[in-house]
Amino acid sequence: MGPVLDNLALGFSVALQPDVLLYALIGCLVGTLVGMLPGIGPLAGVSILLPLTFGLDPTKAIIMLAGIYYGSQYGGSTTSILLRIPGEAASVMTCIDGNAMAKKGRAGAALCIAAVGSFIAGTFGVILLTLIAPPLATFALRFGPPEYTALLILGLIFLAYMSTSSLPRTLLMAAFGILLGTIGIDVISGHFRFSFDIPELGDGIGIVPVAVGLFGLGEILSTPSSEVKGDVASPKLRELLPTKEEWQQSAWPIARGSVLGFFIGIIPGSAHIISSFVSYALERRISKHPEEFGKGAVAGVAGPESANNAASTGAFVPMLALGIPTGPVIAVLMAALLIHGIAPGPALVNEQPKLFWGFVASMYVGNLMLLALNLPLVGAFVSILRIPYSYLYPMIIMFCVIGVYEVNNSVVDVWIMLIFGAVGYALKKFNFDPAPLVLGLVIAPIFELSLRQSLIMSGGSWTIFLQRPISLGLIAFSLLLLGLAAWGMITAHRDWRAKLAEAEAGEKV
Amino acid sequence: MSLPQRPEAPHAKLRADHIAGGAFIALGVAVFIIGWDLPFGRIWAPGAGMLPKLMAAFMILLAAGIFINGKSQDRFSDISWSDWRHAALILGISAVAVSVYSWLGFLITMSLLVFALLTLVERKRILPSAIYAISLTVFAYWLFSVILKSPLEHGVLWF
Repeated sequence: MGPVLDNLALGFSVALQPDVLLYALIGCLVGTLVGMLPGIGPLAGVSILLPLTFGLDPTKAIIMLAGIYYGSQYGGSTTSILLRIPGEAASVMTCIDGNAMAKKGRAGAALCIAAVGSFIAGTFGVILLTLIAPPLATFALRFGPPEYTALLILGLIFLAYMSTSSLPRTLLMAAFGILLGTIGIDVISGHFRFSFDIPELGDGIGIVPVAVGLFGLGEILSTPSSEVKGDVASPKLRELLPTKEEWQQSAWPIARGSVLGFFIGIIPGSAHIISSFVSYALERRISKHPEEFGKGAVAGVAGPESANNAASTGAFVPMLALGIPTGPVIAVLMAALLIHGIAPGPALVNEQPKLFWGFVASMYVGNLMLLALNLPLVGAFVSILRIPYSYLYPMIIMFCVIGVYEVNNSVVDVWIMLIFGAVGYALKKFNFDPAPLVLGLVIAPIFELSLRQSLIMSGGSWTIFLQRPISLGLIAFSLLLLGLAAWGMITAHRDWRAKLAEAEAGEKV
Repeated sequence: MSLPQRPEAPHAKLRADHIAGGAFIALGVAVFIIGWDLPFGRIWAPGAGMLPKLMAAFMILLAAGIFINGKSQDRFSDISWSDWRHAALILGISAVAVSVYSWLGFLITMSLLVFALLTLVERKRILPSAIYAISLTVFAYWLFSVILKSPLEHGVLWF
């Protein structure tokens, strides 16, 4: 425990510097806004604002971007409770009981419970991150190419298994993403692949244009302004305090949501979305009054809001310890570190202790900031929701163009963003989830390199993945998941994923 | 006496997954054709074409599954395309803006982009749209170019 406390002290010495605090505050503020505004989720928010960090050192950059990510989890609850519009997908479950509480005149209490639950869960998540990430990173130093290949395969299959779309659709999107990731110069042989004599494509397709296109522009294309409601009431500060009974009803759901959310967060997939659903289902199942769910149950707000915040913290564990993204937002954060010349992975803790521990410590501070921001400033945040969407989205498109252009000062990247905006629009129409595509694109270089290195190491024998205990275990787990998914498809069993898909569809703007 | 039911037109039977599956099969085939000359290599020395071809084959396999299973899915005609005009206008305006961006530079292009979106897509009045577009662009220029020192295209402007 001693070394952890020493390292945390080092982290706080970084995180409490005035300029670092300022960037954490900016990240949290922007994240709260990103979470609140319909049509711009955390992925688009982080991607668009990535160029803002180019002039910063890597520590400040990652602290600000991470602040946007976990800040969006806080902000998402505001529109869910006040408007029944999930500002971002993880807030879908909060809509149900949060808005029902608002209709009963308890909007302030619902916002307060959501903010306090998010704070407790976020802080709990950071404590576990502090304890788990360093030993996991030490363990991961034993990983060679076969282990990494097996781990990435497991990650993709886990993502497909956890997804609300069908297994073939998710794997198809991931394969499409990996295929896109092979565009550009092959690092081993030097061959140009699918670059069509466009020099900019020699370096491959960037994550930012693809992510901004799919999730930023694609969302705007499929959201006509006539469909976005703007009427919103602002709760007064004195209405924010929950009653003693409401505090009692929220205590255990917050505790359960925190634990559940963190461990779901470590698993690949859109963990923060899944965790809020699983937490809601759990609370309803163990409640003495399940009939109150849907009519303003306090546990229906406290549980899911805590779970999605704990999950967004848990998702940093594989990124920091293994260098593997568990979802598209984490993938963009990884890309941000790579742009700054920092490779996330097992060596990060030892090679960049100030960045690693400064980042961890900033999350403690960030959660405090968010609690302080979200409650007293709820009225100010809500007033932003009154800006008509027809004026808001041209601004978002402009920031998308700036954001994408600034990464490489390349107009080709902006064209790629436009193309993927259209692709995102079409994928939505045909019911494909674009998140696995982004994940596939991010892992493609690591996956290809480790797969080819493994085959070269073994002299062309695929059995190398079965001869090493760690990769064997990972492959066996992948096969087990595939078997479970196949069994579900054969028996047409309607499990929690089908229910989550229904809930998401029912709460779409 | 009831009239005999007319047989369903072939395009009405078409399912969304037939179109989607077919498109991904075509994409997979296109990858094989375009990447034909990329060496697959040997299994002990994989070449530059190995992963793209493996992924294209995997994509074709999955897309074929989606295509075959498409019969039980939603009809293509059931997909709502009511927002296509909105989407096409935004894409078209943005594409024009991107094509003139290097020539006209940030300030002019972005002002015109926001102005065009407000007046052509949203049918807002010209004067408020122009004021909003110019103010927003100047603010973004100040934020990125002056405060954050990010290089933005100057284009035909002298500064």
